[in-house]
Amino acid sequence: MKRLKSWPVWMLMGLIVVALLTVGTTRDNGPLTQSDRIDSITKHIACPTCDGESVYVSRASAAEAIRNQVAREVRAGTMTDDEIIGSIANTFKAQVLLVPRATGIDSLVWIMPIAVLVCAVAGLWAAFRRWRRDNSGEASSDDVALVEELLAEDPSDEDNV
Amino acid sequence: MLGVAGLAGPLGRAALLVGLIGAFFGLIAAVMGTRNEDEKVLRLVPRFATLSCVSAIAAFAAMEWAMITRDFSLAYIQKVGSKSTPALYNFTAVWSALEGSILLWLLVLTCLTSGIVFKYRDRITDPMVGWAVATMFFVGIFFFILTLGPANPFAAGAPGVLDGPGPNPLLQNHILVVFHPPILYLGYVGMTVPFAFAIGALITGRVGEGWLVETRRWALFSWGFLTLGIILGSWWSYEVLGWSGVWAWDPVENASFIPWLTGTAYIHSVLVQERRGMLRVWNLSLLVSTFSLTILGTFLTRSGVLNSVHAFSESHIGPYLLSFFAIIVVVSVGLIGWRGEKLHSPGTIDSPLSREGAFLANNVIFSVFAFVVLLGTVFPLIIEALQNRQLVVGEPFFDKLAVPVGLTLLFLMCIAPVLPWRKASGELLSTRLFWPAWGGIAALAFSVGVGATGLAPLLTFTLGGFAGGAALRQLVLATRRQGLRGLVGRANGGMVVHIGVILIAVALAASNSYTHSQELLLKKGVVATFDGHTFELTGFKTESDGRSTVVAALVRVDGGKSYSPAITKFKSMGTNIGTPSVKSSFVKDIYLTVEPPIKVSSDSVKIKVFIKPMVMWLWIGGGLMGIGTLLSAFPGRRRKPTDATSAPVPSEASA
Repeated sequence: MKRLKSWPVWMLMGLIVVALLTVGTTRDNGPLTQSDRIDSITKHIACPTCDGESVYVSRASAAEAIRNQVAREVRAGTMTDDEIIGSIANTFKAQVLLVPRATGIDSLVWIMPIAVLVCAVAGLWAAFRRWRRDNSGEASSDDVALVEELLAEDPSDEDNV
Repeated sequence: MLGVAGLAGPLGRAALLVGLIGAFFGLIAAVMGTRNEDEKVLRLVPRFATLSCVSAIAAFAAMEWAMITRDFSLAYIQKVGSKSTPALYNFTAVWSALEGSILLWLLVLTCLTSGIVFKYRDRITDPMVGWAVATMFFVGIFFFILTLGPANPFAAGAPGVLDGPGPNPLLQNHILVVFHPPILYLGYVGMTVPFAFAIGALITGRVGEGWLVETRRWALFSWGFLTLGIILGSWWSYEVLGWSGVWAWDPVENASFIPWLTGTAYIHSVLVQERRGMLRVWNLSLLVSTFSLTILGTFLTRSGVLNSVHAFSESHIGPYLLSFFAIIVVVSVGLIGWRGEKLHSPGTIDSPLSREGAFLANNVIFSVFAFVVLLGTVFPLIIEALQNRQLVVGEPFFDKLAVPVGLTLLFLMCIAPVLPWRKASGELLSTRLFWPAWGGIAALAFSVGVGATGLAPLLTFTLGGFAGGAALRQLVLATRRQGLRGLVGRANGGMVVHIGVILIAVALAASNSYTHSQELLLKKGVVATFDGHTFELTGFKTESDGRSTVVAALVRVDGGKSYSPAITKFKSMGTNIGTPSVKSSFVKDIYLTVEPPIKVSSDSVKIKVFIKPMVMWLWIGGGLMGIGTLLSAFPGRRRKPTDATSAPVPSEASA
């Protein structure tokens, strides 16, 4: 059993995962229906007259008009999804976009999460370094006795080790 | 002269005033009695708690009475009451707008305060209890002031009004309106209890682990109610409201999700403090954050600063809530700073590859997630303030950032359950993770086998299988040792919660990635086909009463049962509300909506069909989270104390 759990088996598992992921991510996803495309595009556009709803969700007349415009463009088949979204944004100004642009001050909404994550991870790393430095003591006889006592109580209990 | 129907207003106002006085004197008694160690004064505290609680109950009852009797002398009844609203929705109309919601909040809060005072009646002289109760009274006073001032549900209305529009149509078409808001409020308001004890611990300087023990079940139950409330809201949105999804990252949804995230971080990191005596400042900060975020969320969604289809009200309480939020943050941070020396933890974390290391990583990810959701929610306000420009941050933004965060959390759920405290060796991890890892590979192989594509969903299924294996391994080991008792306690109940979360993650990944839709123009007698299913229009059904007209298209699916997606038109508001009809199975949902207008006289109707895989597992996962929370609340196996004897001896002890 020990050999079964050795590193070559883990390597094999890793290879299987990579192979399966490669198959899964590279094969054809099948054609999208026009309706799927319209849904995907309208999820990125805010209804200009609603309380923060997307065109996809809203049943307001303004949303209906944009949905029809998107449907016409999709049926025409001459533009990509991004181009359709861009043309709607040009018509109604950028405030109909539900995804903020990555330029100017709007980019802060993308940068700040990454900055916070980097700071948090750096803080964690610094804390572990400090703890490792502080944690130079040897186990006392009390420690040893306590661990032995707990292990003797139920050696299979993982909570105690 | 006032008629019986006109009595609710004066009675309600009087009850609120008495309640405010009770809470005020309760605060004074708790503070003075605790400071002066005056048991006689402290013995008055339960009376004041009861007085404010009974007053809040009376005010709530008066509001219900006004609603039931359609007392249109009150502005609130004019706003949300209607003679045509059915009894059930008339009852729930009390919490269908701002003033009534705040009254419900107050009711839950005063009942909780009374409950705490009753539970600790024999320890009311304990300073930590005294300060905790004082904190709860303080919060209660704030909400009494709100109900007597800017959110007064008993304010007199314009004369001569004989009927009203009734509650928002979305709040009068399903029984969930009875459960979803009160359960969510139990979660929000419940967070006041651990917060109050945290403040009590800070003021008394007893910042060890005692206060955690006092409040761990309160925190767990509040978190459980918040979880249940969020899941019920998702179910309502999906099955009833026709918003065609379970989660839209709407500001109101975010307002409940952000404290849930910090609360989830807390119920993990608190284990590190209980076990190792560490992370004291961090845990206090998480509790303060969770409580203050409930207030901030209420400000964002009730003050009208953010638009939401889900808010159901606008008001002038914004400055009050913002000031209260500021007071909480300033006082809490001040207290934490004041007790800085005592909060210094005696222990250290030996290795990142340990259970406490995993909890820390979990906390970082949850906190960053909470920050992301908060930032996305308030970013339009920031842009408007800086550039006087409108901006909307919607679902695609949150989805884009939530995917990597969710995957990281799933990865931690694979590893953390098998990690021991203090330190793990590579060999130990290899042994414990071996079969769970195969669970992940099996899930991936199955997914690829059935045609799943896309990196993010495939990673979700893989990590879901892995994490599910890790949770099941823990449960199998525990039940082998202890039989059914191995399912209870925080560690084991927590694993049941994990399995629920995994099911939700997998269901969300599948339904978000593989949903297909198609608009179909159905004609009577002609069968339409989409994605291997048949749809046939068999007729229409119209129901009408005094308040609304429901027109449903009867659509036979796959030659079997007929489903009836409908449009409801509310006469008083002229609003069309779509109601979907869903054929559910363990594999996929066939979700039907009907596109207005419906002409019953015609032989055709336009419907939209969504094929959504695995949605039912989302509700099963939610149920498991609830069951797991209950199991976690039961005491697990008793363990001998394992204080960190290798930690540096505190100077007080050695003195």
